[in-house]
Amino acid sequence: MPHREKRTSFRILIGLVVFHLLLISIQIPLGSEKKLFERAVFFVFSPVQKAAVSAFRGLASAWDNYFDLRRVRRENLKLKQDLFFLSQEKRFLEDRLQMFKSETEVRDSLERFRTSLIPARVVGSDTGNLYRSLILDKGSLAGVRPDMAVCDRYGNLVGRTIAPVSLNEAMVQLITDTESSVSVVSATSKAVGIFTGHQGSRCLLKYIVATTQAGKEGEDLFTTGFDKIYPAGIRVGRILTIRPTATVFKEIVVQPYFNYGTLDAVAILPRVSGGGE
Amino acid sequence: MRETVLKDILRAVLATLAAFVFYSLIGGVRPSVLVVLNAFSLIVVTFSIGKGEIFGAVLGAVCGLVQDSFSMGVFGVAGLTKTLLGFWTGYISKRMDVAPLLRNAVFLLIMSTLELLLWVILTAFVLKDKVDFRHGLLVLQPIVTSLLGSLLLSVARRVQARRA
Repeated sequence: MPHREKRTSFRILIGLVVFHLLLISIQIPLGSEKKLFERAVFFVFSPVQKAAVSAFRGLASAWDNYFDLRRVRRENLKLKQDLFFLSQEKRFLEDRLQMFKSETEVRDSLERFRTSLIPARVVGSDTGNLYRSLILDKGSLAGVRPDMAVCDRYGNLVGRTIAPVSLNEAMVQLITDTESSVSVVSATSKAVGIFTGHQGSRCLLKYIVATTQAGKEGEDLFTTGFDKIYPAGIRVGRILTIRPTATVFKEIVVQPYFNYGTLDAVAILPRVSGGGE
Repeated sequence: MRETVLKDILRAVLATLAAFVFYSLIGGVRPSVLVVLNAFSLIVVTFSIGKGEIFGAVLGAVCGLVQDSFSMGVFGVAGLTKTLLGFWTGYISKRMDVAPLLRNAVFLLIMSTLELLLWVILTAFVLKDKVDFRHGLLVLQPIVTSLLGSLLLSVARRVQARRA
């Protein structure tokens, strides 16, 4: 290789490395808004992703419909959809009944809830860490905005939508992400704390003072609605272990209810205006 | 000459799209496969050996940034590691004969392992968090990349030889 050509190669390499280092350094500290460049790449490639997944699912469903029991499948799909909505409604009703609201009030809010619910499907996951984020096939055209709660088909909390939200796709930050925080309360001892990701599929319930009796193994956790992102009363997870630490807080390990391996259809919930909604 | 370069670019774009489509389909159906097989790395190493270090570096940057944009991690980490992977794979393969299947597989294994190692170090350093190895499945990624990469290159060489 001539010396000049070799020098050009290394110049290009250095240029690219410097570009990436700058890109990485401007994002530290983390937690800030996604950069314009990253959004642009997401917006360009997300329709390709949706098209590919839709084409694949289209082919698969064509195969099923023509060569399988067509009517049974259709009926099954309808029942699944009904079950999906009923699960969400059941959770919502339980929540409302707990608050002892009047029947008409419950009916009104149930109607509002049903119309504002956005069903979506998972079309992609995070290559870096599976338990951080995923991509849904609904975007701003379907009414999806950042900071909307996402539940699985059984009404268990999965995460929240975050930027970027393109026309037909949205990114979801999972509750198992270490940077995610959800305000939760335990079902019986009423311990209020912050639910956050820990390792893989396990999570932590933080800021429960060691001297209190609050929080018991096997206890269920529900959202409080105090964070103004997640509506109150959504099932989040179950306490697995509680251990004392060197700090003033206990270490509480929680198993979230949603199962990453079986996530397919999800429900995007409307945004809440305040705590206790 | 110009036509050949355009053809190479078109092939690289198509290969990147194919990797992306693969990532999308598998990500929606069986996400754990993505831990074992990184299609973007596979595309970068196969093209770098055939087209050289500059092509490899640029393709690595593009593939890495696409991968980063669909991940919650720091944007640019995979871009940087894949740029280096593409460059050094292309650079070394020009100076060493890595054509035989076994030698090729070992070479790709070393390069993919170094890429994964750099990615783990950068992720741990930037995010200040433990990297999820998915019960050791992540360690299999370089092995799968090297095996599939060497097979792909071997098939490509045979096709070329037949055409000639």
